[in-house]
Amino acid sequence: MSTTRERTGGARSLTERVDSTTLLLAVCLVPLAAFFLVVWVVPILYALGMSLFEAPVRNPQFVGFGNYVAVVTDDGFVNAFTNSIVYAVSTTVLSLLLGLGLALAINQRIRGGVALRTLMIFPYLLPTLVVIFLWKFVLDPNIGILNQYLVDWGLFEEPIAFFSTLTWAMPAVVITSVWKFASFAFFILLARLQSIDPDLYERARVEGASSWQAFRDITFPHLRGAILIILLVRGIWMFNKFDIIYLSTRGGPLDATTTLPIRVFEIAFEQVAFGQATALAGVMFFFLAAVAVVYFTVFTPAEEVTG
Amino acid sequence: MASDTERAATADVARGDVGGDHLLSHRTQRRLRRVFLYVVALVVATFVTIPVYVMVVIAFQSPATTFAGGNVNLLPSEVTLRNFRVLFDTTLTATYFRNSLLVTGGSTLLSTAIAVTAGYGLTRFDFRGKGIAARAVLFTYMFSPIVLAIPLYVVFFSLGLLNNLFALTLALSAVSAPFTIWLMWQYFQTVPIALEESAWVRGASRWRTVWDVVLPVARPGYISAAIFAFAVAWNDFTMARVVLSQDEKYTITVGASLFLDRVSIGWAETMAVSLLISIPPFLIALFLQNYLLQGFSVGGLE
Repeated sequence: MSTTRERTGGARSLTERVDSTTLLLAVCLVPLAAFFLVVWVVPILYALGMSLFEAPVRNPQFVGFGNYVAVVTDDGFVNAFTNSIVYAVSTTVLSLLLGLGLALAINQRIRGGVALRTLMIFPYLLPTLVVIFLWKFVLDPNIGILNQYLVDWGLFEEPIAFFSTLTWAMPAVVITSVWKFASFAFFILLARLQSIDPDLYERARVEGASSWQAFRDITFPHLRGAILIILLVRGIWMFNKFDIIYLSTRGGPLDATTTLPIRVFEIAFEQVAFGQATALAGVMFFFLAAVAVVYFTVFTPAEEVTG
Repeated sequence: MASDTERAATADVARGDVGGDHLLSHRTQRRLRRVFLYVVALVVATFVTIPVYVMVVIAFQSPATTFAGGNVNLLPSEVTLRNFRVLFDTTLTATYFRNSLLVTGGSTLLSTAIAVTAGYGLTRFDFRGKGIAARAVLFTYMFSPIVLAIPLYVVFFSLGLLNNLFALTLALSAVSAPFTIWLMWQYFQTVPIALEESAWVRGASRWRTVWDVVLPVARPGYISAAIFAFAVAWNDFTMARVVLSQDEKYTITVGASLFLDRVSIGWAETMAVSLLISIPPFLIALFLQNYLLQGFSVGGLE
């Protein structure tokens, strides 16, 4: 390691300066390294090790990749994997569409736009637990206002227990999630929209472009990068999401909303099979790593932090 | 007059109201689009606001009022603190709240401190493998908290640190640090090195320069980092659920999540506790909105 910008100016001697710079470097990077080692590297390596053992906590028996084979061939795996994909894709796409629509609307400078922007922060900042409480209440079969209206308007014959029926559990979890996370797409897209030079639209206007053409040739190209990032990042996070599903349905009814994170938790803390739990976590890790490769070709982190 | 109409027509052309059959005049079309925008905005505003409104009303009404008659009464007719009193008298809400404050405060400080030092170090010093470091930070940022929670649980278990608020603080910082580091790393790059150089030339030490020049300039950066770390820790359920197992140690999210299973606690008290949990984030939204938005523009928050 060497310092980039060494200056010999000032009253101090060069050695003194180098010493204080080295010390500064140490103060900056040693805590970082120590922290990552303690909370990321060691636990993950430990877990990857554990995933090769049966009953790793009490009476470890080396089984090689046996746990991996067991969790992947298990009946529940395909269901959990499918649910994860369904949940991740539907929440991501719906959040993106909702966020995009609203960002475009607010960018037109409608009256009350600022107030609406502030409102959009609330679902995002409300803790997941609170969001679940609110939606469990709104969707409650006995007292929920949504059920009341749906029945009053004749859309449903009778109230529906959204979170506990096979058909409705996943949609209910998706709606709840979209309610919370649409603001994510909204804020990122709004920031991008507001950074577009208005002169571009002025010029397009002068040249007689239609608003659809202006959207296609000016707005969309500016948003494309952001949309891609939202799809990737939000998609990954939703694939990994645990709390919102656990708190609303515990993965039920039956396994209708059991995703991979829920299964990891069940295997670890209900079946107390840490070897298998860490193996499944390992499977998710490798899946994530594969997606990360795509992510890093789209999004080049090295350029952003060394430019 | 004539020029006004002309100008309106040009504006319509620019907005794309050309071509196709013109059943409606340009002005009507434009108005319709305007109305459509407002309708969309209104629907979204309602969709966002109703659950929050429901929470506030029910939190301040006695259950008898809320559930009087068959339907839920959502037009407020009384204000009472009864639900909050029940909450504090019959549950450990006060303890949960205190635990949450401790853990969140600790984790916000830790995560922000690491982010500021690391961000500065990574920006101002050159070393091989910086690209890898950037990837590693972003990769951990995308990591599933539950996938991290399992190994942390095992490590804390073998160190006898389960049920320990400090361990939870560390775990939560592990979740928030990748993003706070990334944010500061990017933020420090917007601070011109010339600022520091001119201080060095005038004889200030590197340390002094960091303290007197860099840190004040970077304030918006670390305020957004702190908000993010705060939000992660305050909202967390996953880590606390895994690391804690004793009632008196629970944070507010884990403690309150058990309320729905308790006979003595109904929706009224649940909404009251929800409101309490929501207050700190609401205050942030109110006062620090712009810093929060800055965080979004750097590449999103979880």
